[in-house]
Amino acid sequence: MKRHLPLAHPATALVMATCAWLVLVPLLGVPPRYLPSLGRVVADAISVWPELLNSFLRTLSEAVLGFLAGAALGIAFGVAFARSRVLERSVLPLFIALQSVPVIAFGAVVVIWFGNSLLSKVMIALYLSFFPVAVSTLRGLQAIDEKRVALFLSFGANRMQVFWRLALPTALPSIFTGLKLAVSLSLIGAIVGEWFGDTVGLGVMLLQALYFEQVERIWVLIVVCGLLGTLLYGLLAFIERKYVWWRPA
Amino acid sequence: MNLPLKCSIAAIAFAAALVGGSLPAKAAEAVSVRLKWVAQAQFAGVYVAKAKGFYEEAGLDATINPGGPNINVETLVASGADTFGIASGTEGVLYAREKGLPLTCIGMSQQMTPFAYVAYDDSGINSVKDFKGKTVATWMTGPQFTLYSVLAHEGLAQSDANIVSQPFSMQPFIDKQYDVATVTLYNELNTLKEQGINNIKIFLPDDSGVTTQQDSIVTSEKMIAEKPEVVQAFLNATLKGWKYAFENKSEAVDIVMAAGSGLERKHQELMLEEIEKLMRAKLGGSEGLGAIDMASIKAVHDSLIEYKALNTEIDLESAFDQSFWAKVPADAKSM
Repeated sequence: MKRHLPLAHPATALVMATCAWLVLVPLLGVPPRYLPSLGRVVADAISVWPELLNSFLRTLSEAVLGFLAGAALGIAFGVAFARSRVLERSVLPLFIALQSVPVIAFGAVVVIWFGNSLLSKVMIALYLSFFPVAVSTLRGLQAIDEKRVALFLSFGANRMQVFWRLALPTALPSIFTGLKLAVSLSLIGAIVGEWFGDTVGLGVMLLQALYFEQVERIWVLIVVCGLLGTLLYGLLAFIERKYVWWRPA
Repeated sequence: MNLPLKCSIAAIAFAAALVGGSLPAKAAEAVSVRLKWVAQAQFAGVYVAKAKGFYEEAGLDATINPGGPNINVETLVASGADTFGIASGTEGVLYAREKGLPLTCIGMSQQMTPFAYVAYDDSGINSVKDFKGKTVATWMTGPQFTLYSVLAHEGLAQSDANIVSQPFSMQPFIDKQYDVATVTLYNELNTLKEQGINNIKIFLPDDSGVTTQQDSIVTSEKMIAEKPEVVQAFLNATLKGWKYAFENKSEAVDIVMAAGSGLERKHQELMLEEIEKLMRAKLGGSEGLGAIDMASIKAVHDSLIEYKALNTEIDLESAFDQSFWAKVPADAKSM
């Protein structure tokens, strides 16, 4: 049953990109301002590693908490929309309108409501992540074959049984698509949230690097943010492969 | 069941007595100060005042809230979300007042214009008058009005120069995409020098007779009306923090470094040097740190009206309240 091939692919790409960076930058004489050599970037990362680790953990917890809250809220709304056409017609357009507003516009509001706490970053991550989950949950639940529902009912299943045994399993692959979108968005939310004022976090370090034009540091943070995003996405993909192995009918 | 309960009640009572005994008679007043950017030497005085216990001695339990590119200090302080702020500067206070925000400036950190214009030695630009016909980049987030004033003071019309918007980065200037760029004396100029760019000339607005004080110390009208003693205590302790920072620069940089993450010591040392020059210039030297220069504020106000950046006259005496600064003890503000 174990297949290593799908896991090998992303790792191969990573190794190839690293090699290209390692070889091409000195070979082509790329000026450090455009792309510093990998060695300089790694050296810079090592020089700030305790702060980098702290910031990584801080941003990770903001993104994960925001994602979990956003996923729970998104699934709850998705289920509610699938159940009630009135709710879908009335509330979903409001969510779409909210999603169209750049998160920056909520900056002052978030700071006034939640201060400079971890909570304010979690709220921004939640705000960005709940929408794709809600929509994908709704679409997944709408895709249920009515004939199967009729079959379940004819065997005397109640509404809860239909939901847990048929509707949710059918919708899960679709929900996971939403979750994988949401986890990347929650990371962006956490980083942007730190731009509303904080002292620790990858977003704060990125801001400082931009302000002082520290090109190596900017690349360190691009790589670390990328690794964090890949880690979160990979974890979800792993859970999906292990527990949601079936495909929608 | 009863004995452990009794024991724990006794323990709690004992602990409460201990804590109660160690607290000062009067509980410290909880205040927050919102910065216009993340932790760096530009705000050394505030971090020093906190770390050295100056706020605590003044009866304040101060929280420092860092800012960022999406933070408007004026709005947060006027709304009461933060008690005090280190806000943009003269223009920012004037705009806030025009919008009707109940915001008052109680002190000014930087005594001379922190912006400057740079041009390469070989550009043929030897004075601001030579900006005529050249491409001049500046930040369109407020500092453009300083440029307009400088041009006007040198007898140039805005249309004489090709004024373009300058991004976050100095890279386009390094690539010579425009003739003149705007820098702050405490950061971008250092960035250029660090990248080995020394073949530049620097033009200071103050040399053209344009002074705009920046990094205003602000609070809300409500605080001034209801808790003037807290406002006074905050200003006293903040200026004391600045004085200590300039007298003990190495320690001040240590304190700033501990407050942020991933800061470079060299950048912070250079920034503190430049901030000291800006804060001790002009009235900062003759009158004391944090002085409010009403003459320069009036001039900035009048030029903003002239450029229609301000549409209504602002009552300067109520927007800039000098009474607190006047009462700061001399040994806290005079170097």
